[in-house]
Amino acid sequence: MIEATQETRAGWLVVAVKGRADAETADQLESALRSAVDQHAKVAADFRALDYISSAGLRAVLQAARAAQENHREFAVCGLSDSVKKVFDMSGMHHVLMIHGELPC
Amino acid sequence: MLTMLEEVVLLAVDEQTGSLRSTREFGTAYALVGAVFFDLALARRIDTDTEAIRIVDRAPTGNTTLDRVLAEMAAKPHLSTVRQWIEEIFLNRRDLEGEALSSLIGQGILRHEKSRRLWIIDVERFPMVNDRPQQHVKARLAQAILTDAIPETRDIMLVSIAEQCGLLGYVLSETQIQGRRQRVANLSRLETISRQVNEAIAGLDFTRQQSVGKIV
Repeated sequence: MIEATQETRAGWLVVAVKGRADAETADQLESALRSAVDQHAKVAADFRALDYISSAGLRAVLQAARAAQENHREFAVCGLSDSVKKVFDMSGMHHVLMIHGELPC
Repeated sequence: MLTMLEEVVLLAVDEQTGSLRSTREFGTAYALVGAVFFDLALARRIDTDTEAIRIVDRAPTGNTTLDRVLAEMAAKPHLSTVRQWIEEIFLNRRDLEGEALSSLIGQGILRHEKSRRLWIIDVERFPMVNDRPQQHVKARLAQAILTDAIPETRDIMLVSIAEQCGLLGYVLSETQIQGRRQRVANLSRLETISRQVNEAIAGLDFTRQQSVGKIV
């Protein structure tokens, strides 16, 4: 299960994601992030309550970032827990994504 | 749509002669196993994290090769890491390349020719019947490497397998490859399966160097 809620803060649309991002929830995650990218010029994915991310989850984040790039939108990922940060680090996601410790807003 | 396995095998076919080109024999074998895992991941049958691989859906995909690997995985739950599975399938000596070639022939993209050299040695060639699929694969590969845009998932996977099979030189010039070496490395690192295939190839190279050292 995954829960995604939206909130506008200081010019950013913040998508707070809670739960596990894996093969079962990847479509839901990608859809929530892409929908935010469609609506707003600046989107921050807040992963403070994301417990786990698998390869399928990473692909979902990456494809949302791709949609943002194609539409000239700003897309940032922030608030990674230690276990999720480890997965992002191993994959070198910082080479292709903007990753912040804190929310950018 | 072609599978990742079919796309990379198609890339290995010389469009002029129909011969198969491969510069890293054992590396290619590992990379083709990686391609099958990518196909299973794209079909949402498996998922991976930093090391482990797990089946998320046992339903057949309709592709003989993928379904056979999926069934093998389901039958051996004690093998749980990507690396273990890469080596397991490699050791079984499955002819993944041959299966992909048969499928490409069946789809009317290649044809099979067999001849004899010096009346003894069988020579197999796979001339193109329809060269558009290979051109499409090459164009996607070049686009993924030569631009800074985030590629589609399939194209990220394609870059890593083509690199591991030593096939990038048939799509890009040496200067282009050298100039984008970091980009190729960054894209390949994004996928757990690619990282594990690279480690398996590095492990194999190390073992072979040790064997050569002992002989010398």
